Amino acid sequence: MRTSRLELLQWVGLLGAALVWTAQLVIGYGVADSRCTLAGQRWGLDLRTWEITLMVVAAALVLIAEGAAVAVFRATRDRDHNDPPPAGRHRFFSSAAVVGNVLFLVIVLLSGLGAVAHTACRQA
Amino acid sequence: MAVDVEIGAAGLERVGRLERIWREPSGLVGWLTTTDHKRIGLLYLFTTLAFFLAGGVEALLIRTQLAGPSEHVVGPGTFDELFTTHGVTMIFLFVIPITTGAFGNYLLPLMIGARDMAFPRLNALSYWLFLGSGCFIYAGLFTGHGPNAGWFDYVPLALKQYDPGHAVDFYALGLIFNGMSSTAAALNFIVTLFKLRAPGMSLNRMPLFCFAMLAVSLALIFALPPLTLDLVFLELQRNVGFHFFDPAHGGDPLLWQHLFWIFGHPEVYIIVLPAFGIATSIIPTFAKRKMIAFPLVALAELLVAFIGFGVWAHHMFATGLPLTTLIFFSAASMMVVIPSTIQVFAWTFTVTMGRPEFRAPLLFIGGFIAFFVIGGLSGIMFAAIPFDQQTTDTYFVVAHFHFIIFGAAVFPILGGLYYWFPKVTGRMYRERLAQASFWLTFLGTSLTFFPMHIVGLLGMPRRVYTYSGSLGWDAYNLAETIGAFILAAGLLVIAFNLVVSALRGEPSGRDPFHGGTLEWATSSPPPPYNFPVVPTVSSAYPNWDVHDRLEDARRLELGELVLEHGHETPAATVRDGTLDEILEMPSESPWPLAVGISVLLTFVMLLTAHYVTAGFCLALIALSLMGWHAKEPGE
Amino acid sequence: MSAYSLEARRAKPNGWWGMAVFVATEATLFGTIFGTYFYLEFRAPHWPPRGIEPPAVAVPLILAGVLVATTLPMWTAARAAIAGRAAAARRAIALALVVQAGYFAMQMQLFQDDLAKFTPSSGAYGSIYYVLLGAHHAHVGVGLLLDVWLLAKLARGLTRYRVTAVRAATFYWTFVNVLALLVVGAQLSPNV
Repeated sequence: MRTSRLELLQWVGLLGAALVWTAQLVIGYGVADSRCTLAGQRWGLDLRTWEITLMVVAAALVLIAEGAAVAVFRATRDRDHNDPPPAGRHRFFSSAAVVGNVLFLVIVLLSGLGAVAHTACRQA
Repeated sequence: MAVDVEIGAAGLERVGRLERIWREPSGLVGWLTTTDHKRIGLLYLFTTLAFFLAGGVEALLIRTQLAGPSEHVVGPGTFDELFTTHGVTMIFLFVIPITTGAFGNYLLPLMIGARDMAFPRLNALSYWLFLGSGCFIYAGLFTGHGPNAGWFDYVPLALKQYDPGHAVDFYALGLIFNGMSSTAAALNFIVTLFKLRAPGMSLNRMPLFCFAMLAVSLALIFALPPLTLDLVFLELQRNVGFHFFDPAHGGDPLLWQHLFWIFGHPEVYIIVLPAFGIATSIIPTFAKRKMIAFPLVALAELLVAFIGFGVWAHHMFATGLPLTTLIFFSAASMMVVIPSTIQVFAWTFTVTMGRPEFRAPLLFIGGFIAFFVIGGLSGIMFAAIPFDQQTTDTYFVVAHFHFIIFGAAVFPILGGLYYWFPKVTGRMYRERLAQASFWLTFLGTSLTFFPMHIVGLLGMPRRVYTYSGSLGWDAYNLAETIGAFILAAGLLVIAFNLVVSALRGEPSGRDPFHGGTLEWATSSPPPPYNFPVVPTVSSAYPNWDVHDRLEDARRLELGELVLEHGHETPAATVRDGTLDEILEMPSESPWPLAVGISVLLTFVMLLTAHYVTAGFCLALIALSLMGWHAKEPGE
Repeated sequence: MSAYSLEARRAKPNGWWGMAVFVATEATLFGTIFGTYFYLEFRAPHWPPRGIEPPAVAVPLILAGVLVATTLPMWTAARAAIAGRAAAARRAIALALVVQAGYFAMQMQLFQDDLAKFTPSSGAYGSIYYVLLGAHHAHVGVGLLLDVWLLAKLARGLTRYRVTAVRAATFYWTFVNVLALLVVGAQLSPNV
């Protein structure tokens, strides 16, 4: 694979899932807050639709990031993370990202399922 | 050099020139105008240790008052000031400045092969701001206006009608002041780590301590603004009649909590991450092998900091918020423990798969791992909302965070003090006494904080100044107080060991422990210019690369990247560490102190409601900044 | 060492990175202000509260557009500085400064007019409204001081240090100008 393509995939694999989860948290929390506050209900957002859509989209994007990380990991299989850059750096970031993205996937799924599993807006 | 090579005549001449260019004046003026990261690190070290002593005295007073039921050592008002100031001191004036300002400042340029930080004068300013903020807060304590509403200062208690007087104002303005210091330091660390690494040190070859510092600095940058804003809102409501927190005028007391914990949770990772960095420096040295799963450990540092921004409302599970909004934080809180667990396994396997030498620094790391596992387990229990609602505001929480803060942050600090003591002083500490000090401190910590789990589950609330003798809590509290004094004794033994060894210890040599990172490649203590020649780097453990260190000696003779004709250090590209330019660095300057004093005056004027004078002080700051930038490096 | 030739350098200068990190803190600060604004709005039965009119749309939007337009002379100044053309850089900064100062003066007038209609002590809406606008205007004010200082420095010609200063100041203004759009968006959101 060309170096510039590896470079792009490396960053997508490393940073993509983190940004996606951030978006899911901010939007998901915002939707839940609007649904569960008196004035926020003016916005008329349907909780289930938003949260499930958000979870599915976020999970898909995290899987894409994981795909990118795996691609770079496989392309650098004969390298060591101490090797000179860019190859060493690609190996380094992708080997860490492969694990990190799984973590973000679990958070995305737990958050989305949790948001719809309980009676909406019931006090904790 | 990892191998001690005889320096030839040409090299000696270059080193002499470097010495003349980089040496700062001794005496008070030298220290007041210093821009040397090592001197600033030492200033931070001694100041934070003084605050550690103050916070420790506060803790012992608290424990003495709670040793038995219905004691009258201090009254309730004083007790409130004691636990508030203890928390504020330990977090903002001890543990964060010692790990970032002392360890970070001293070690970072050395570990990346640089001659100084990216912004040496900003570095000095961050120290003066820290000192000023600490004095400001303690001025409140000593004038009878000690902060007294808890370290998280909840409204409505902290509003004017319930807490008149200046206590909360000292707290709020003092922490805004302190936040400026941490922001300046974090900014400096990020740019230094990005730009000043020695050529060859690409991001994948950066030491793990530096990854920890990068994570901490990024977290500080993004966590401090919500706190600053919260404190500004509080001051505006208390003193200027704004409305943010009172429902009668459209405000919400939970707004305070949200903003505070959006800062507050990342803050606790900011507390513990440098400790991880210290642990990941000590372990490979004494296990005599490289860290297992290096890329995973490096990313885990950054992951913990990042995910830590999305868990804040787990501090608010008992506030009556809807489950639908809280569940996001429960999910993330359960998963944030995973990167830390990866690290614990990596550390443990590295030790067991190496040839460990259990000297004092490694003992303290062993204690750290034990305490971190216990504290982490009690922490993850709080991720379950029903459990949290039973134990919040009890001593179970106090147990958890002291296991983490004392066990998992302070133990590596103590281990780090021993580990880098030879580097900073050029002398060895006493090993047997150090090991004894570990066991005493370990015993004291366990006895002080473990019973708190039990007494918390038995229902003892936090922040109570006394308790009834009929509740069955007496024995636990007494044990905790005894433990606290044992812990204090252990710390005194450490202090004694370090002071006596600094005065009379055996010369340590350059590299007594055969460490892998670059600070061990230069003399003990390091010269003002850190390295005679900019080091050759081709791995994350450069001091173990004998070939590269021999290459350094060769280049010193030839004058390649010695940079002995100016106050210079190289800058490299961000990702790959390719040499990019030679930077002219500033030397001693009075301007950081001038700005620091102007900022202190501004805060004093704000506290005493002299707003016009505060405006003049702002002008003073602006003038000092202009003076700062009047002479350009190289002129 | 040549004064400001940058052909050898590939990475952004330290001063640029320092400004980037500083902008990150200020962006976080404003993000928190926006979050607070909408948090308080979600809890209010009426926003703005009864008795306070939502802000007029036209003038704030036009002013924001004018401020955003000053990004162009600032970028011109940065490019001129990198190319070593001190006089062109000075002219571009002076143009930006004049427009920005005019913007600032008008905003001070509007701020005063608003204060005559409702104050921060009227409630949460007033409190967050004035913090939002006040914080933005304070950042514009600091930018004006930066412009003046740059002009003073550039009067004596260009050095590597001053080129970095111009680049850093341009970064700052780009941030403040983008922020102006977000601030006016939040300010005018009750009209949506």
